[in-house]
Amino acid sequence: MHELPLTKGIFKSVMRKAESVDAAAINRVVLEIGVLQDFIPEYVQKYWDYISRGTIAEGSLIEIRDKDGEAECGRCHTHYNITRANMFDVHCPSCGYEYGNMLSGNELRIVGIEIVKKET
Amino acid sequence: MTELEYIDLKECILAENEGDAQEVRDLLKEKKVFLWNIMSSPGSGKTTFIIDIIQRLGEQYRFGVIEADIESTVDAEKMQALGVPTVQLRTGGGCHLDAAMVMEALKKMPLDALDIIIVENVGNLVCPAEFDVGATLATMLLSIPEGDDKCIKYPLMFTVTKAVIVTKMDVAPYFDFNFEALEHNTRRLNDDLRIFPVCVKNGEGMEAVVNWLTDQFSSYL
Repeated sequence: MHELPLTKGIFKSVMRKAESVDAAAINRVVLEIGVLQDFIPEYVQKYWDYISRGTIAEGSLIEIRDKDGEAECGRCHTHYNITRANMFDVHCPSCGYEYGNMLSGNELRIVGIEIVKKET
Repeated sequence: MTELEYIDLKECILAENEGDAQEVRDLLKEKKVFLWNIMSSPGSGKTTFIIDIIQRLGEQYRFGVIEADIESTVDAEKMQALGVPTVQLRTGGGCHLDAAMVMEALKKMPLDALDIIIVENVGNLVCPAEFDVGATLATMLLSIPEGDDKCIKYPLMFTVTKAVIVTKMDVAPYFDFNFEALEHNTRRLNDDLRIFPVCVKNGEGMEAVVNWLTDQFSSYL
């Protein structure tokens, strides 16, 4: 359910941008979600459909791109990639140590919108 | 013919909250007040833990409490019974506190007469981890019956907390809670994380928590 307040935030930002570029309609919204976030795409789309009803965003598609995270080795400080699949069994590629600190992975970002321009 | 156009945005969804959190931090720095955010699942023992901490450290520090609940005020009543300035925030169905709500609560508190404000967040391991409330210190409680695998299910929470206080140690013999697994999984994401096994009811492990907390408080105050 935590997707609801976040989806409302996304809607506000997207509408602000769409108005500033004179959009007649919004077709697609592209989000980038970090590997540490628990964000269920189906819920976001469902909430989006509800929130955007009767606006220029009605019927638009939410596209979610997963973004890998980065960790720093707790021993030699090498940086390495964290994915959903390797999160709990990755080792430092440089020294083999198994523990580290996440540097990123909590992103919740709107990367872009696809719009239909108003006819001039 | 309709013309489609793609527009780059690069906007952080939580940008507004992050700005609000910074305002909370600035205010608290000016007032020299330490904001301690306590997060956990429902029923892990947050209220009992907070009351115990205030009883142990209430002579040394002047405490205030911000209680967040979806509907009730039962926790705030317990805090008020201790004589601690308490503000109740009812999130009315909302699953977390955000920095703007905490700012509203701070405005109702006697900041000049307080050293430490404890935020008892909404019981939830997902949303509170996403919303920075401007805290000086974030910790979480994890009770023995919840199990050692919560880190795998809710990884973000374990990266935003500085310590995991494992509560209800007195019932550990009845559960299969594996401390090695907890440490192993959490350190994958947060190698600096501290783990404190405690039982508030019989006092087990509380001295270590209190010593660690006192260090955290004194490095800020």
